[in-house]
Amino acid sequence: MLLQQLINGLTLGAVYTLIALSFSLVMGILGVLNLAIAELFMLGGYCGLTLIIMGHSVWLAVPAAMAVSGVLAVVVERVAYRPLRDAPMIMPLLSTLAFSIIFQNVAVNVWGSDPLQLPDALADARLSLGTASIGIMQLAVIVVTVLLVVALGVIVQSTKLGRGLRAVAENREVARILGAPASRLTTAAFALSGSLAGAAGVLIGFHYAAITPYVGVDTGLKAIAVMVVGGSTRIWGVLIAGPLIGVAEVLSVVYGGSAIRDMVVYGLMILVLLLRPQGVLGGSSMPEGERV
Amino acid sequence: MLEVKGLSVHYGPIHAVKGIDLRIDRGEIVALLGANGAGKTTALKAIVGLLPYAGEVWYESRRLPQGAAEKMARRGLVLVPEGRGILSRMSVEENLWMGAYVRRDRSAVVRDIAGMIERFPILRERRNAPAGLLSGGEQQMLAIARALLARPRLLVLDEPSLGLAPLMVERVFEIVSDLRRTGLTVLLVEQKARQALSVADRAYVIELGRVSAAGPAAELAHGSALADAFLGGER
Repeated sequence: MLLQQLINGLTLGAVYTLIALSFSLVMGILGVLNLAIAELFMLGGYCGLTLIIMGHSVWLAVPAAMAVSGVLAVVVERVAYRPLRDAPMIMPLLSTLAFSIIFQNVAVNVWGSDPLQLPDALADARLSLGTASIGIMQLAVIVVTVLLVVALGVIVQSTKLGRGLRAVAENREVARILGAPASRLTTAAFALSGSLAGAAGVLIGFHYAAITPYVGVDTGLKAIAVMVVGGSTRIWGVLIAGPLIGVAEVLSVVYGGSAIRDMVVYGLMILVLLLRPQGVLGGSSMPEGERV
Repeated sequence: MLEVKGLSVHYGPIHAVKGIDLRIDRGEIVALLGANGAGKTTALKAIVGLLPYAGEVWYESRRLPQGAAEKMARRGLVLVPEGRGILSRMSVEENLWMGAYVRRDRSAVVRDIAGMIERFPILRERRNAPAGLLSGGEQQMLAIARALLARPRLLVLDEPSLGLAPLMVERVFEIVSDLRRTGLTVLLVEQKARQALSVADRAYVIELGRVSAAGPAAELAHGSALADAFLGGER
C-alpha cells in the first residue's frame, strides 16, 4: 500500500518538478514569474493527448507538445514581456496572467470544458512490481522526466547556451559586455521553459489519464510551491522538492482525505518561506535572481 | 582607434557627463583620471553601449551604435568593469570560458585558457572553485584574464585597483605595463592618478563631467591640474 502510494507520489512529483523547472528558468533570468507557464503546460497536455488519441506514439506526442508550447512561450516573451521589460515588475506579471487566461479560453473553445480522456487501453496498462504495480503511463512519466532533467542539466551546465543563460541570470550587464546576447538568451530561456511545460502537460495527462482546461491553475500553483520549497538560489533544488511535494500530497490524501491535500502542500510552502526562505537546497541567505 | 566627440550622458535629471571629447591612438595607454563621482564610469558605460548618450563614438573608423554592448566584444572593444564583474557562482574556468564567448575557435580557446592560467598562476589552483570565493586581487586577475580571452584590440579597465591591498595594486599596474609590450591599446580609468600616470602615455582629467585637463602623462604628473581635480582647485 505504502509502496504503491510512493510510486503515485513520485509520478506526480516528477510532473511538478518539470513545471517548477520551467518557472525557475524564466524566474532566474528575469526575476519575473511567467504565469502563462501554467496554461502552456495545459495546452501542451492537450496537444500531446490529442496526438495519442489519434494513434501516435508517446515519442511523437511529447516532442510535438514541447514544440507547440515552446513556440507559444516565445510569443508570450515577445508580446507580454519584452515591451514591458523596464516597467515595474507587476506589469509583466499581469500581462503573462492575461495570456494565461486567454490560453485557457482557447482550450475551452477548441476542446470543450469536458475532460479529454486517455484511451482506456493505455490508461489501464500496468506492470506488476510484487505487491505494488506501476501504470505504463506512470512509467512513461518517470522515464520522460528523467530524460528531460538530464538533457536540461547538460544544456544548462555544459553548453555555451547554458553558460550564457547562467551569466545573464547572474549579471546581465557583465554578460552583455562579454558578448552574450542577453535578449536572444532571454528568448531561449522562454522557449526552453515553455518546452518543459509542454512536456509536463502531456505527462500530467498520462498521470490522471485525462486533461481539462483547468488543470494548469491547480498544478501550476503547486509547481510554484515546489519552486519555493526547492530554493531560490539554485534551480536544482526542485529535484528534491518536486518528489517531496508529490509524495506529501498523495500520502495526505491517503491518510487524511482529499480535503486536507492542499493544506499540506501550501502549508509546507509557508513553513519553508518562514523558516528557510532560501529553500531546502539554498545557501545561507537568499540572493535576488541568480537561479540558473 | 577610439574617438569620442561631445559625449553627454544623463541619469534622469542629473547631467553626469557634459560633452567630453577623447581620442586614443592604436598602441597607446590612455588614462582617464578624476575623483569619485566625476563621471568616468558613466562615460565608459556609454562608450561600450551600456548607457544611452548624446554625441558620437567612433571606433576603428566606424561609428558605434548605441545600446549594443553585446556587439563590442566581437569588435575587439572589451571592458573590465568597476568592481571586476566576476560571475561569482560560476567557477574560475567558466568565467574564463565566458571571456571567450564571442570566439568560435574552440581548440584555440582551450589553448588560450591554459596560457592564461600559466600567465596568472594565482588562478591555477582555484580553477574549479566558485569565482566568488577568490580574494579581491585574485578576482581582478581573473577579470583581466577573462577580458584578454576575448582577444581585445582596445581593453578598457575601469578602476582596476579599487579596493585592493597595496601589493596587489602594484601587481595590477605591472600587468598594465606588460600589456603595453604586447601592443594592446588600453584605456585606464583610475582614481590612483600618480600610479596611472606612471604607466600611461597620455591622460585626460575629468571633473564634474567635463574634461578639465589633457596631455602627455609626464606633463600632467608635474602640473597642478591633478591636484585641482582631486582636491577642488580654482578654475
